Formats: sequence, C-alpha cells, structure tokens
Amino acid sequence: MNPFQPFYNMKIGVVDLSTSSTEVISLDQDRVLKHLGGAAMNCDIFNYNQGDPLIFGTGPLTGSFVPASSLMIATFLSARFDRLCHVPFMLRSGPDMKFSGIDFLVVKGTAAEQSILHVNNGKIKMLPAGNLQDIPIPETIRELKKVSSSYQSFILTGPAADRGVPYASASIGSKGSLDKAGFAARMSAKKLKGIMFGGTDGLTFNRDNPDQGKELEKRISEDKNFKHKGFLSILKNLEDGMGAGRALTVSRKKDMACYNCPSPCMTHVTFSWQDPRKEEIQKIQDGLLLLDHMGFAALARKVGKNILPVLKSCLDYGLDPAGVASILSEGETLLECLSTIDKIISANSTRATCIPGTYDLFGGGIPPILTGDLWNKRVGLAMILGVCPIFLLRFPQITDTDLLAFLSTNEDVLKTMREGLSSVIESLFTV
Amino acid sequence: MNKQLTIQQPEAEREFSLNLEDLRPRPAEKKTFASYFMPPRHSFILFDPEKCTGCGTCEMICSTRNVGKVAPSSASVKVITDEKQGKNFAILCQHCRKPLCMEACPTRAIEKGNDGIVRISRLFCTDCGLCTMACPEAAPLKAPNNQEIHKCDLCEGEPLCVKYCPEKALTFTRGKAFRWIKGLRWTTQFISFLLLVIVFIGTFCYFKAGSVSLACPTGTLQNIASSGTILLIGGVSSALVLLILTILSGRIFCGWVCPFGFVLDLVDKITPKKFGWPSFLKSRMTKYGVLAGAVGGSYALGFQAFCTICPIGTLCRSYGVQSFFKSAELAIVPALASLEIAQRRSWCRYFCPVGATLGLTATLRLIKIVIGAKRCKKFSCIQCAEVCPVAIIDADQLREGISPKIPMTECIMCMRCIDRCPYDAAKIRFRWQKAVPGENRK
Repeated sequence: MNPFQPFYNMKIGVVDLSTSSTEVISLDQDRVLKHLGGAAMNCDIFNYNQGDPLIFGTGPLTGSFVPASSLMIATFLSARFDRLCHVPFMLRSGPDMKFSGIDFLVVKGTAAEQSILHVNNGKIKMLPAGNLQDIPIPETIRELKKVSSSYQSFILTGPAADRGVPYASASIGSKGSLDKAGFAARMSAKKLKGIMFGGTDGLTFNRDNPDQGKELEKRISEDKNFKHKGFLSILKNLEDGMGAGRALTVSRKKDMACYNCPSPCMTHVTFSWQDPRKEEIQKIQDGLLLLDHMGFAALARKVGKNILPVLKSCLDYGLDPAGVASILSEGETLLECLSTIDKIISANSTRATCIPGTYDLFGGGIPPILTGDLWNKRVGLAMILGVCPIFLLRFPQITDTDLLAFLSTNEDVLKTMREGLSSVIESLFTV
Repeated sequence: MNKQLTIQQPEAEREFSLNLEDLRPRPAEKKTFASYFMPPRHSFILFDPEKCTGCGTCEMICSTRNVGKVAPSSASVKVITDEKQGKNFAILCQHCRKPLCMEACPTRAIEKGNDGIVRISRLFCTDCGLCTMACPEAAPLKAPNNQEIHKCDLCEGEPLCVKYCPEKALTFTRGKAFRWIKGLRWTTQFISFLLLVIVFIGTFCYFKAGSVSLACPTGTLQNIASSGTILLIGGVSSALVLLILTILSGRIFCGWVCPFGFVLDLVDKITPKKFGWPSFLKSRMTKYGVLAGAVGGSYALGFQAFCTICPIGTLCRSYGVQSFFKSAELAIVPALASLEIAQRRSWCRYFCPVGATLGLTATLRLIKIVIGAKRCKKFSCIQCAEVCPVAIIDADQLREGISPKIPMTECIMCMRCIDRCPYDAAKIRFRWQKAVPGENRK
C-alpha cells in the first residue's frame, strides 16, 4: 500500500514549451518512496529529463494540516552558479498547485512566444502572453484576472526578467519571493511569463491530521518565537537586522501568514509617500507585504527610511531587492534610488553583470536563523517534506519524527521513512 | 389586431394542480409567549479582522467537513485579503434573523431552525445560486469545480473553524444570555409607571413638595402661552429639570421614564405585525408642528389646550386607583396606543410634543451614540437597525458599509442598539469625541 496516496495526486504535469504540448503522467510510486518528495524528487525528475527543464514540486505534507505546509519548490539549473538550485515559494502556491491536480510540473524547451501556463483540475493549458511583456506585475495580475478570475495563485516574472535584467526575481502574485538565484531569468529564457494555479480540487490527507496539527501547534505555543510574530521578529536574527527594522516607519502594520501557519513571519505595511519623479505634489497611499527578510535588510542598509517606496518599485518590476541594493550607494535620495531602478529596467542590460553576495543552494532568501549544519538539516527537511523552511528554522523542537507521523501511523513504514530521510537530505547538498 | 392569448386550464386539471406551497409549505413561525420578552438567541460566528492573519486554516477544516477532503474552494468560509490595505475579511454566514437567502430560494431548500441555524437541505437544493446573490455577505459559496453551494451550518453548534483557528480570530457566540441594559430599562420603566400613574397620581404634569417642584416642559410652555406671563419662577425652573436631564443624557426620559412609552413598548410586544404608515404621514417634523399647535392653541384658547388630550398626562391623571373609571380621558390612551399597530413608537416618532420639546433641547446634548466603523459588521448584521424603536439607524447605509450617523434629536436613548450589538460597536460617547475607543478613524 502506498502511504503517500492521500498526500499526493500521484500525477506529474509535463509541458514542452517548444512544441506547445502538455500531458499529465502518473507519478512512479517507487520513486516517491525513495525520494519522498519536494526538492529531492525534483532532482530525480530533473535527471530524467533532457533540455534543462524547470521543475516545480511539492512535498508530501504540502497543503496538509501540518503547520506552515505552504511550500512549493522550484528546481532549475542556475546560470549564475552553474548548479542545481531550489527556490522555495510559500504563501499558497504549494497547496494551490496540489489542489490543481498535479504534484510536480516539468517545463521543458523554449516557447516560440511569451506564454503562460494555466493549471487546474489536473489539466494544463499553454496560452500566449505576448500582451503581458514589459508590464509591471500588479498590472499583469489585473489583466490575468480579467480573463480567468477563478485562479488562485500566480508565479510570475516582471519587466525585469522580460528585459534580461540580472537582478530579476520571480514573484508570487505581486508579493515577491525568495528567489535570488536567477529563477526568473531561467523562466524568461524559456519565454515562460508565469504559471497560474486554479486550486479548485483537494486531497484527503489522513483523517487524524487536523488533531495532530493542533497538537503540534500547542506544543510550540509556549516557545518565545511563537509569541514574537511578524516580519521584524525574523529581521532581528540578521546582521544589523534591528537597524534595518528601524527604517520601517509605517502608518499601519498587520502580521500575515502563509497557508496554515500559526506563527506568521510576514507583515503587511501601509505607508504614504510622494513620487519625486512626478511634478504634482500628491501623497500616494500604498501597501505591500514584507516577506523577503534578506532582501529587505540589504536594501534598508542602503536606502534607510526610503525603503518602502524603493521596495515597492522593486516588487512591481520583479527585481530582487538585494540585487538592487548591491548597486545603490548609501545615502542616495529617493529620487536617485528610483531613477537607478528605472535605469536598470530600461537599460535592457545583458547578463554579463555579476551579482556580488552569497547566494546559496536554496534561492538565497532563507534567513540564517540557525547556522551551520543545523541550518542545512532543517532547510533540507523542509524542502523535502513541503513545509516552510523559515517555520522549521524557528521551531527546531519540531523533529522529523513529528512530521513523518502525519504520513503514516504504521511504525514499520515510519522507520523506513526516517532511515531514508537523512540520506535524502544529504543528497540535496551533494548534487 | 392584437389577440389576447389566454390559457384555459381544464377544470379537472385545476383541481389537482400543485404549487410550491403544497410541495414545500413554508413552516409557520412558532412564537411562544416567552419569546415576546426573551427572543431566541442568535447563534453565529464573530470574525475579528485584526486578529486574522489569512492563514486559511478555517477554509481547510471547513472543507474537510463539507466534502471529506482539504479543498479550500469547497469550504463554507472564505478569507479574502485586500492586498493594498492588508486587511482580511471572512465571507461567512451570519445566520441572519431574517435571512434573505431563505426568501430568495426558489425551492425552499433553505430553512432557519429553532436553534437559529440557517441550513441548506441538499435534497431540495438545485445549486441555482440565487441565495448567493440575495445574501448581503454572499455567504453561500459556490464551489468552482462542481458548482455546488456550500453554506455554514455552524457544524451543528460546534464550529470547527472556531476550534482550529490559530489566532482565535473566530469566536462562536450564542448571543448575549442576559442583556443587562434591557433588564434595567424594563425595571426602570415599570417603576416609573408605578410611581407616576399609580402612586403619585398626576405628578408628571406638575409636582410640588416644599421647595422642590417639577413640571412638564411642554405643559409649562402652554401655561406661559395661555396665561401670557411667566407666573412662577419656580414653575419655569421646575420645567428646566427635565430639560437639563436631556442636555446631560439626551432624550433618556422618552426611553426610560415616560409611562406612555412603557405602555407603547408593552403594546408593541403583543402586536408584532406592523401595517406601516402611508408615506405622507411619515414626517418626523409633524411633532414640531403639534408642539407649535399646542402652544398656539393655548395662547388662542386661554388654557393649556393640548394637556387635556396629552396621553402622558391623561395616563398619569386618570388611571390611578382613585380616578380609575371616573374620567372621560380614559379613551385617549388606548386610542393613541393603538397607533402601535402601524409602527413601533408611532406616537413618539411623529406626534409627541413633549418629545419635540426634548428633541429641541437635545440639540445641546453632551452625549451621543456612535456605531464604530471598524468593529461594526455593517452589511450582514444590522441588528441595531432592527431593534431601534424609532427607526433612526439606516439599515441601507449599514448594508452599503457606511457607519450611520444617529440623529440624537430623534434618539430616545433606550440603548437597545448598544445592548444588542454583538460586536460592541455601538457606544455612548461625548459629543466632541469622534470615534469608538481603539479606533483610529476620525
């Protein structure tokens, strides 16, 4: 019996952009048992497919009652590092992919024209998206919602990727992401504007999962990390994070959570600002969701109190804030910062520019809440099982045994999984 | 030539034709005697947008109950986020007291149980979606994959979304078990009635004990008009007592003390069905005309003309133990109380000159009632508008999401809105305060 049956649709979607063909094939049960899922399974699928594919995958626990089970992992060959990288996508993208009827998605080839993928009810459609070229991400979403309002999640690239800007970053809706490894550039190279997930189906998972999830939540509820929520609670773990936090002067803050997360690490901020590029004096009321701690800290160090309008501009264009921070100078005015961003976008620059900084295997956006081997183990565990890596870093008391207990009650099955899990995690770092 | 088409139905067929009323008769509203005084509790789920983080756990657990799997799109609750403002909203059935979905359902698949829960019967539901369109919350949700309608049934009294919400943003409430304002108001009204009508007969119109004197302000105005002079300093100052009370606390006399108001509230309990006034009679300015007429009439006739037919005065003068069955004025009270079959507190709304005097004084009031925009659920709740006896809370404004401005010259300060509001959004504030505490709205 397959213990993953209620956790997966057992389906892989395969898209060949060059021939515009799509198909949905069955997921091999033995391979799932061997690799469990997530990043490890993505690596396996990558190795079986020719032509530098992009692999989107979920873990067995993605979408389940495990707290913070929001993760989708995008695996690709990073041109920047010349190796496989795994970018985590949180919010609701993982569950919505699973509830669209597929567990993994392989995107091969290069499209003849800019395209967008629609995934729902276990079916994949490839549609042209030439009209979305060079449009800021919020407008892109507005356009997409006009034609398909029922879609829930969007993974998109912005004008930065369309114009080959090296600091391009993929975005979950208009909220940005932790992509600092060049995933948006790979999507753009394949002329893939984005992927939309309908998320209208569902999965049964295990019957006792809701109570197990509640129990786990109760266990961590006494932890000090559980009580200190929001974006700033993570920021303070970073180098000069507190200094970056002081740049945050907003009119309203509201903590927001990803799918089924009891301890939010994101904060929505509303702020007012005046665009210095425009002649008329008019205050603009704006709002944005802060989710990229590393990008925020890097940018705040450079632009100080102008952080929010600059960050908003980065997100609208689909730029990595950390990348933008690397070319800004300290003490620049808001006008200078925004003009620099406009120049980056309009310069139609080549990929020759090298981005300084330490970008790692998992997209470069997962904050160093823990360090060294412990960080690797926790993030590896999260990337395989489909749980938010930031959540597992914050609550190290949640063990792999706790998480695997959601998958099966059979002790023998659990023992096999536990034994396999550590080698699977290790394999991620040796590929 | 136009030909009028008529379909002749055969006699035999007509006898056996069935309509919806025969197939699914609307259940008769069961009203017990006790329910007039203590209406059945209104169970529903309270949503706190400040606590909600938009994690969607409520949708997960709800869909598990609805369709046996985690499928947030098949849940009966939906959390939506305003991305610019960063505000979360829950689309959730409020189990309205008078559900519009129930009225809209063409197959009568929606029923409100005795426990207050509004349920959809899967047997009769055709998933037409009219209930979704009729509901001000759009709470019956259509699953996009199979177009099936899902609506909250409060998990038959133990809502799972409330149990599993990690932020405690959802609270299940069965309504307030005991409304202390209601109890206090009825007690005060009863004691006032007892004192003014039975014990101290006639004291409302004029009362003097030693140097202390009290008088009806409208009566005093008529007295001044009819006599042409301000006879007694004491008389005027005694009338001021009620006016000062009104400045301090609004028209609290009308809501808490007036013996005729108490009679009207009792009559309202036994005449729940209202027939309504024709629109040309529904002007709240009429009572100011009556007041002007009373003062003018007194001046012309040389005696306090309106006092002879004043329902408050006649009630206080004619219904005491000593004067019962001795007065021709006895008919006035039942005659005017019968106006209650048209609208609640009809007399107070449109005709009462005492209310008009106090209403004019209330323009100088120190306090007001506000309905806080942030806490108010507005379009789905409107309980405050339903319970207001003088109908000054605009339900349409509430449905549009606008916090209504309450005209304090018309408000009788009964505080039913404060008592009933499940969200604690209705409050008494000083007139210079602009919002409910905890709200930053100016």
